[in-house]
Amino acid sequence: MLSAAEASLPLRPHECVSQRGRCFDYASGFAQHDTFQTNNNPMKHIFLSLALLAATPALAQVPAPAPAQSRPVLLLGGTLHVGNGTVVPDAAVAFDKGRITYAGAQSGFAQDRAAFEVIDVKGQQIYPGLILPNSTLGLTEVESIRATVDAREVGEFNPNVRSLIAYNTDSDIIPTVRTNGVLLTQVTPRGGILSGQSSVVQLDAWNWQDAQVRADDGLHLNWPAMIIKTSPTDEPAVLERREKNRQEQLRQLESLLQEASAYRQQPAGRRENLRLTSLAGLFDGSKTLFIHADYGKELLEAVRFAKRLGVQKVAVVGARDAWMMLDFLKQNDVAVVLSRIHALPRREGDAYDQPFRLPSLLQQAGVRFCLDYEGDQETSGARNLAFVAGTAAGYGLSKEQALEAVTLSPARILGIDKDFGSVEAGKSATLVVSRGDLLDMRTNDVTRAWIEGRAFRLDTKQTYLRDKFRGKYGLK
Amino acid sequence: MRIDLRRLGLAGGLLAGSLTAAHAQQPATFPRNGVYDQRPGLYAFTHATIFLDYKTRLDDATLLIRDGKVEAVGPKVKIPAGAVVQDLKGRFIYPGFVDLYASYGVPEVKAPERQGRRSGPQLESTKAGAYDWNQAIHPEVNAAELFRVNAEQAEAYRRQGFGAVLTHQPDGIARGTAALVSLSSSRRESEVLLQDRSAATFSFEKGSSTQDYPSSLMGSIALLRQSYLDADWNQRNPTREQNLSLRALTQQRQLPAIFEVRDKLNALRADKLGDEFGVQYIIKGRGDEYQRIADIKATQAPLILTLNFPDAYQVDDVYDAARVSLQELKHWEMAPANPAMLAKAGVPFALSAADLKDKKKFLPNLRKAVQYGLSEQQALKALTATPAALVKAQDRVGALRPGMEANFLVCSGRLLAEDNVLLDNWVQGERYQLSTLPVDYRGVYKLSMTTADKVKDNEFRLGADMTLLIQGKPDAPQLKVVGSPGDTIKGSLTVSGELATIVFNTRKGKDADVTRLSGYYTPETRTFQGDGQLSGTQTGWTNIKWTARRLEEATRAARRDSVKAPVPPQLGAVQYPFVAYGRPEVPAQQTVLIKNATVWTSEAAGKLENTDVLLQNGKIVRIGRNLSVPSGGRSIDGTGKHLTPGIIDEHSHLAISGGVNEGTQSVTSEVSIGDVVDPEDVDVYRDLAGGVVAAQLLHGSANPIGGQSALIKMRWGMTPEQMKIAGAPGFIKFALGENVKQSNWGELNVVRFPQTRMGTEQVFVDAFTRAKEYEQEWKAWNKLSKGKQKKGEAPRRDLELEALVEILNRQRFITCHSYVQSEINMLMNVSDRMGFPVNTFTHILEGYKVADKMKQRNINASTFSDWWAYKNEVRDAIPYNAGIMHDVGLNVALNSDDAEMSRRLNQEAAKMVKYSNLSEEEALKMVTINPAKMLHLDRNMGSIKEGKDADVVLWTDNPLSVYARAERTFVDGREMFSLETDQQLRQQLEQERLRIVQKMLDAKKGGAATQLPTAKPNQHYHCDTEGQAKELDK
Repeated sequence: MLSAAEASLPLRPHECVSQRGRCFDYASGFAQHDTFQTNNNPMKHIFLSLALLAATPALAQVPAPAPAQSRPVLLLGGTLHVGNGTVVPDAAVAFDKGRITYAGAQSGFAQDRAAFEVIDVKGQQIYPGLILPNSTLGLTEVESIRATVDAREVGEFNPNVRSLIAYNTDSDIIPTVRTNGVLLTQVTPRGGILSGQSSVVQLDAWNWQDAQVRADDGLHLNWPAMIIKTSPTDEPAVLERREKNRQEQLRQLESLLQEASAYRQQPAGRRENLRLTSLAGLFDGSKTLFIHADYGKELLEAVRFAKRLGVQKVAVVGARDAWMMLDFLKQNDVAVVLSRIHALPRREGDAYDQPFRLPSLLQQAGVRFCLDYEGDQETSGARNLAFVAGTAAGYGLSKEQALEAVTLSPARILGIDKDFGSVEAGKSATLVVSRGDLLDMRTNDVTRAWIEGRAFRLDTKQTYLRDKFRGKYGLK
Repeated sequence: MRIDLRRLGLAGGLLAGSLTAAHAQQPATFPRNGVYDQRPGLYAFTHATIFLDYKTRLDDATLLIRDGKVEAVGPKVKIPAGAVVQDLKGRFIYPGFVDLYASYGVPEVKAPERQGRRSGPQLESTKAGAYDWNQAIHPEVNAAELFRVNAEQAEAYRRQGFGAVLTHQPDGIARGTAALVSLSSSRRESEVLLQDRSAATFSFEKGSSTQDYPSSLMGSIALLRQSYLDADWNQRNPTREQNLSLRALTQQRQLPAIFEVRDKLNALRADKLGDEFGVQYIIKGRGDEYQRIADIKATQAPLILTLNFPDAYQVDDVYDAARVSLQELKHWEMAPANPAMLAKAGVPFALSAADLKDKKKFLPNLRKAVQYGLSEQQALKALTATPAALVKAQDRVGALRPGMEANFLVCSGRLLAEDNVLLDNWVQGERYQLSTLPVDYRGVYKLSMTTADKVKDNEFRLGADMTLLIQGKPDAPQLKVVGSPGDTIKGSLTVSGELATIVFNTRKGKDADVTRLSGYYTPETRTFQGDGQLSGTQTGWTNIKWTARRLEEATRAARRDSVKAPVPPQLGAVQYPFVAYGRPEVPAQQTVLIKNATVWTSEAAGKLENTDVLLQNGKIVRIGRNLSVPSGGRSIDGTGKHLTPGIIDEHSHLAISGGVNEGTQSVTSEVSIGDVVDPEDVDVYRDLAGGVVAAQLLHGSANPIGGQSALIKMRWGMTPEQMKIAGAPGFIKFALGENVKQSNWGELNVVRFPQTRMGTEQVFVDAFTRAKEYEQEWKAWNKLSKGKQKKGEAPRRDLELEALVEILNRQRFITCHSYVQSEINMLMNVSDRMGFPVNTFTHILEGYKVADKMKQRNINASTFSDWWAYKNEVRDAIPYNAGIMHDVGLNVALNSDDAEMSRRLNQEAAKMVKYSNLSEEEALKMVTINPAKMLHLDRNMGSIKEGKDADVVLWTDNPLSVYARAERTFVDGREMFSLETDQQLRQQLEQERLRIVQKMLDAKKGGAATQLPTAKPNQHYHCDTEGQAKELDK
């Protein structure tokens, strides 16, 4: 608790920490909120907390991760949306030890059903777990509180920085995201020119090591903005300075990549350079370069830059002007991680539905793409990923194409499609069952979900609060 | 006798750029160092064509001036002995121009760089002296006291024909008085000053004031409004305050008042403010008045028009071109037509060189305005009679009548003729020579060259005669040399006075022969002659003598050029609003029958299948089956489609100009979004495309008691006033929590009270205590007899408290931004104690914790569907909140607070089905009838019911489905959006863009100046956006 002296002072950084500490304390019992104002007796306080903990075990915490799958599971009767465009009505999906052993028509399922825990999902819909690329989930808890944000390291070139180790499995936000169907995410650092390396994790884990699906899958490059005139009153001298700065940044970036490429060839015993080492994967194709840029010409410039320097796998992130560059993206086989399409058009004159329609334009042009949720409230709002896909389906994509844009397509772009992204035999049993269409908020209702065959809990801090206060009012 | 230039210290024959009168004039009262040099200043200008004023022309007339004033003018003026006579046969005399918007000679005040949250607050004025509380209110500043003659600036003005300017210090909101001064560089300030305190000057920009308040446009408006009231009060009660600023403001009420605005909408706003206080402002805008000409005209404000036309944009690159907005493209095309269009509409205006960084552009731009349809007489009037009359100086400047200042122009021809040369600008009887008339050398010449040694002739091929063609303009002649027919080469000709130098190459490539000729021109024989030198890489060099005799006056081509009338420019149409997706006219109200749709009534009737709805005269007139279309009506097939009431966004910040927060004080109930509605925000159109028909535009949440709201309908294309819902009750924004206590504003913002929730309560208690006392004070005053009132002292009118009194009297309703239960509970508690109702808690993300308490007081809740975790106070926010509040029995709405989400509110409503098992009809009510109820608009809006406003949306699918699109959106029975017209508008937009881009490319090819496009990222306001700059979406 704050001392009286501290509390009377205006805002100071440490006060934020104290407040945060208190707020995190809900973990030791929601009772604190109820007793905070009236009860200053710490013993009584602890007692109350413990009492509540006992009454609602684990509910006051992020639920315990589910244990490993102990017996084979068979889902029967639902409509299976494979994730690759295929829909199987009256399907059967079987999985054991975290792996899918059968996914197809129920009529084709010939194994002995007695060996399975059979779950009747008739009338329900089965989907692969959704995959959220380019996210700070687990890095950012409360956007406005700096101490809870671990997304941006200081400096312009941090290719060696790894997001994985900062991924907080105990984030309150994570359970609220997975209960809407998102089961995997690419934890992505932000800021600077080279922000660092992302990793793909699954959303039900004790710690980041358990969560890890693909460590250090890619490097994230924020392309220096090409538009340097940002106000009608910008003087030519200012513009010249900005352009010069930009050229200098590009020059530094170029030399860093060139040297990293050459450094790989150096014989053993070389003096270790963390930056250069961390970039090596770009040149052998083991890591993807994710270039964050929106403006049409930036996409051209950045992709050509990367290819010229020998980067093997290039994806663009954001890409809100991708509609201007469809042929280029297709011809260069550049994957697009399209920024949240629940956005206003970029320019006053752009069609009102330009962002909504962009996925269908990419689809028609044959560009590989997936959907993300970057932007304001990107962590807490990530539970709306399915509805972003739904909106794309309202504006030109088929529903199954829209589903693919948040399942198999991101799995491919993130290099995890061998195991994830579709409900097919041999893949990880990472899937959800929804009472209705997962992509429509009107019907999205996840009744069960598994990550690697583990049936994790669907309650959250928020359902706890709901039940607590519905109880207060005697509501069902 | 002809005037002796040297006597005046002017060297003849040269451009007079650096010349000023040689002897400094001294006012009679000034002591002198050296011998006195008072001259009579008696000049007669004879045989000239004289414009006495903009419309009275005298031919072969005489102008007589003495000692700086006009003494006589007319066809038969007797020239007194001792006058210097100048024969101006063939020349024209015009009254010198007057510019009403200048800061000539007044020191510039630099605005400090505002750093937002990077600098701490400044709540009080730092200005010394008995002045106003606000640093931007300084009407006590008098330009006459700051002004210094500035030779360089004066010359720049004189070169454009100006003889006098109204100068002031363009800084702050109440800026002080302007002084009318002549542009003489040689007299002292006291003589140049023609009229002290000629006008009061105002703007909405706080300029160099470092004080926080006002930070928004609406704050500026409120501040000026309160200042007028305070000035009146201060005058009536002189013993209360000796406030020099307020006193000056009162004194200025007699003066013409000039209001500088940054665009046409602010022109309307300024005029509306003036109307409240019986002041008719003269409005100086930025040249976009043509975009709202009828509304501008209705203000009856005289205008000061700038001739600062935008440069073309660099549109060669298609990606860059896409960044130039339609408004920018169209304004580039139409800006030069602004004066002509206003003249045609009968709007009175003066023209000004204001805003032209390079004053040299004034005359060319004036000619451009004439080319775009302004008549010479209109132009002259706007530069003389109108400005003079506007500052009541019509007896001093703007015409040439006896007793007036001897300010006039001597021109070689008609004022705005393309080849006119401004020869002299006389200011207060002193001559400033601007240029001499260049000799017109244009013509066809026969060139002969001879060498001393004839032998060399062959070597240099001098046998053949050559022809010289001198073309171009008199002051910029161009030379062509024709050796033999079809063999024409370009040369260069430099003429300085009567001396000429000619250079040309007779052969190209490395065998180049260079001919260089120098000489002089003899007018009598029309011949150039002189010495020259021929040189070649092969042939060496030789000296020659040359002559070139003029055979014809001008080449045929040159003559043709001179008679070619300029083609009047073809312009696109004005559209409303003047941005993308605007239309030449606002869609009309229609009689529309929507047939066989699924109708979601948001009424007890529920959802009606296969139902027809008839819209007529802006109302829903019939709901039923098998209705028939009245004659003249239109039928729309709604089979398989869904018709819902238009969506109402209870909490929006779109369509607001100049800042959403006046968060610089903890109580700002005096400011109003109603003053700053922006009907040109394209997000209005986008909202229509999302089925949104109305919104409450709320002040932000930066302070406990914010500003008043505007309730608008999405009447795309209409004026700010027309956007507002007539008869809607007043609303006001209150706020609690982190924004109010500035928790996330950095370490410098720890000064403004309150910084805690404890202090927040006290702000409310204090404000309402004061409001109650204020009301009592006025009640007591109003009870007094007239006689007693005369002797007594009327209370001060306080707009801040008046808004709070309205709340106490149920005439204004609170929408309170709120998050956590403690503060919500607190405000309910304060409202009980102080006796005012809380109408709505908005955001109210912990409403589920206090729903029972809200229910007891019948407080409405307007919340987000699922926002949380973005700051500390929303860590307990849950998506089940709306459902719990609904189940407890509250009237619950879902709002956006966000221009992007606003257009998907149907999707947000759908989340209630998911999270709270609400029926679909109940969910839809949360964005239709429920917000209408809490905004007290449900009598006319929010549901589909006979007699209500025809605000309906036809959807392609179940409106709660993520797959649904709004197909048609009607507002007041006007089809403001439909998928077809949207396609048409897109095409028209593209065509219009292409047309103007092509024109810009041509202009660039023709040598026009260009500018880079400016980044136009999405900009929109949220609750916590401070300042006037919109948040960049990047």
